[in-house]
Amino acid sequence: MLPLLKRGGVPCSIQRMSVAPIAITGMGCICAAGRNLPDSMEAILRGERNPAPPVRFSSDHPVRYPVFEAARFEEPPDLPRTSAFGLHAAREAVADAGLDRRTLGALRVGVCVGTTVGTVVSEETFCRGYLAGHAPDMAPIRRILRSNPADVIAREFGLSGPRQTVVTACASGTDAVGIAGSWIRTGLCDAAIAGGADELGRITYIGFISLMITDDSPCKPFDRHRKGLNLGEGAAMLVLASERVLRRSGMRARSFLLGYGSAGDAYHQTAPQPDGAGLRSAISEAMATSGVSPPSVAFVNAHGTGTPDNDRVESRVLHDMLPGIPFLSTKGYTGHTLGAAGAIEAVFTAACLEMGKIPANAGFETPDPEIGITPVRDVTAVSGTAALSESLAFGGNNSVVVLGKA
Amino acid sequence: MSGPDRIVIEGIGVVGGFGCGIHDLSRALTGSACSPGTLAFSTGSGTVAIPAFRADVSRLEEFLPVRTLRRIDHFSRLGLLGSHLALVDADLPEAERPRLGIIIASGYGATGMTYAFLKSLIDDGDICASPTCFAASVHNSAAAHISIQLGARGPNLTVSDFHLSVPSALATARIWLAEERVQRVLFGAIDELSELIGYIRYRTRDASAAARMTPLRTEMETSIPAEGAAFLLLARENASRGGYCTLDASTTGSLPIPGVPFPEPGLLVLGADGCRESGRRYAAVAQNARVACYTPLYGSLPAGPAFDLAAAALILKGGGVFPSPGGVFRDFPATVPAGGDPVGADRISCLTLSGDGAYGLTTLGRIESQ
Repeated sequence: MLPLLKRGGVPCSIQRMSVAPIAITGMGCICAAGRNLPDSMEAILRGERNPAPPVRFSSDHPVRYPVFEAARFEEPPDLPRTSAFGLHAAREAVADAGLDRRTLGALRVGVCVGTTVGTVVSEETFCRGYLAGHAPDMAPIRRILRSNPADVIAREFGLSGPRQTVVTACASGTDAVGIAGSWIRTGLCDAAIAGGADELGRITYIGFISLMITDDSPCKPFDRHRKGLNLGEGAAMLVLASERVLRRSGMRARSFLLGYGSAGDAYHQTAPQPDGAGLRSAISEAMATSGVSPPSVAFVNAHGTGTPDNDRVESRVLHDMLPGIPFLSTKGYTGHTLGAAGAIEAVFTAACLEMGKIPANAGFETPDPEIGITPVRDVTAVSGTAALSESLAFGGNNSVVVLGKA
Repeated sequence: MSGPDRIVIEGIGVVGGFGCGIHDLSRALTGSACSPGTLAFSTGSGTVAIPAFRADVSRLEEFLPVRTLRRIDHFSRLGLLGSHLALVDADLPEAERPRLGIIIASGYGATGMTYAFLKSLIDDGDICASPTCFAASVHNSAAAHISIQLGARGPNLTVSDFHLSVPSALATARIWLAEERVQRVLFGAIDELSELIGYIRYRTRDASAAARMTPLRTEMETSIPAEGAAFLLLARENASRGGYCTLDASTTGSLPIPGVPFPEPGLLVLGADGCRESGRRYAAVAQNARVACYTPLYGSLPAGPAFDLAAAALILKGGGVFPSPGGVFRDFPATVPAGGDPVGADRISCLTLSGDGAYGLTTLGRIESQ
């Protein structure tokens, strides 16, 4: 059991006991690495990555920062790209779980989706028209207002359970998965489709450039010469089910959601707490609820954005709390997909546990003496029954899920 | 959840068009005048001012130094004021603050900063876009400011489900407490009025510019846009030192609602906000129920259901129903009790309907000793 962490003598969270595992019966994913989970896994295990300046939009910024766009994906005209990504991943996950609309209709199924832009009521063309004194077309705004990502998925599958769209910035996807697990555990629903979705557009691209945390070359998580993140886009969804539903439906568990923890830094809007106190609390809670001890942890899928601050803090915490456990960031293959990142990394984590191997930490070449530990450099076989997936976010949000082998 | 696992609303912090603090809301509910101000924005044919409930956040200076507030935008100020008012109302010792979990519900988030960022890049070019506005435009910015100012290091969540944000987020708040992740959750709903939201409202709703909301008169559009924050300090009953009422259930889902029609003689507080389309849906769902509606006091905003809860909590604590300020209309197919009538039951449910056939339902209960 990891020690309960304290700051200033005050426990960050009350002591948690282990909770019942939740079955993961289906997974879906779309990102720059592939249009579905098997293709994405093949690509990242081959070490493929193709960051390039954006092709779907332009910018008059003099530097063309590389991004990871989901190529050859066209959203239907009636859906924002974020919700279309979410729906695409949900369809794959539902099919992977062997579910159909009739089976879903007989259950109380919830939807919990993380995003950063999926509920933002603004659109650049609309605003340009407004500022120019025109009467801009309201269609884009109406489309946003009827396309909350969780609602779109619930409508598509005719689901009657709770819906929630989580907006904890880059921790949204991880939080959505953890919250959906709690919904099932406490009986709010029988099963849930949970994950994250985010599109990459001009506003996000320019916003991150303005913060000066983007790398003008392919990102290098945990490398000594890392300069920042590359943005990406996509979605991932997981079908979660209670043990009762698993028994009744004949679904098989691909993996298990064993634990979840989250905590706030209470420190800064955009910078992580230097000592990683919030992340430490989140890991402690996730490990305690999972009932997993460090020797059982096969690997950690780190947040690993490639920004100097994130990687310094995260590696310090991993060094202290999970020493010697292999870790990597998969953002070198997908870019930072923001609200989708936690979900994409959760399905990668579950798939890696199934396969017993993890990809190389793309972009890492030179160890950073300030970090002191190094991520995996090659495709690496892993043993162990569980793995962690971590997210750190603007606002000081830290979230961690523990996934287990079926 | 029952017995020692029940959840108590220990404190309430509200700011909106009616004023600031639970006493101002209480006064408004008992019949004080509550008139909207205005929201001005430009259109292609000149500046337009529409009726709107604005929130005055000047009392925040009672809680935080002006220097601290200098770089904090209006959306987060609304949240900071609501959160401090709720903690003071509950008389929560400062030593408890680091242990708080924080859950924020917002329909539209920090729209002022979102618009300011867009304006910066449109007016000045991509290279001059404002990093300050971008960082403050994320939906969880208010939750971050609250956690920083309170030193709250528990779990921290922001939820945005447009008009169902409040019941959706409350469902998760209940789970955090049931799972004993934390002993207390500071729950808050926030929405701000910005130029952008004003213009969108102007274009998407019938611009009747009603000076008074009559939400139970369903053939008319009388919604008045609003901003505000409503915070509830929630505690596990075994950790609580008393409060207004219990939070017994909160759920969202697709219509029809299990258990409807609503049983008499309880009270159903409707989130009907003067929007013509949703007014008809409320009339259909609430048929033959005993209903009240207080939205004319705080206006139409996605955070509105949290104000409904604050009103319901005051009713449960006080014992009598407040009059519905939008008036009673013969065509509305439900019973609307007069001010001072007894609640008639130990529970009050608050209903919110969204445009796509989804609902949110939150139920509050009387604390047994009351």
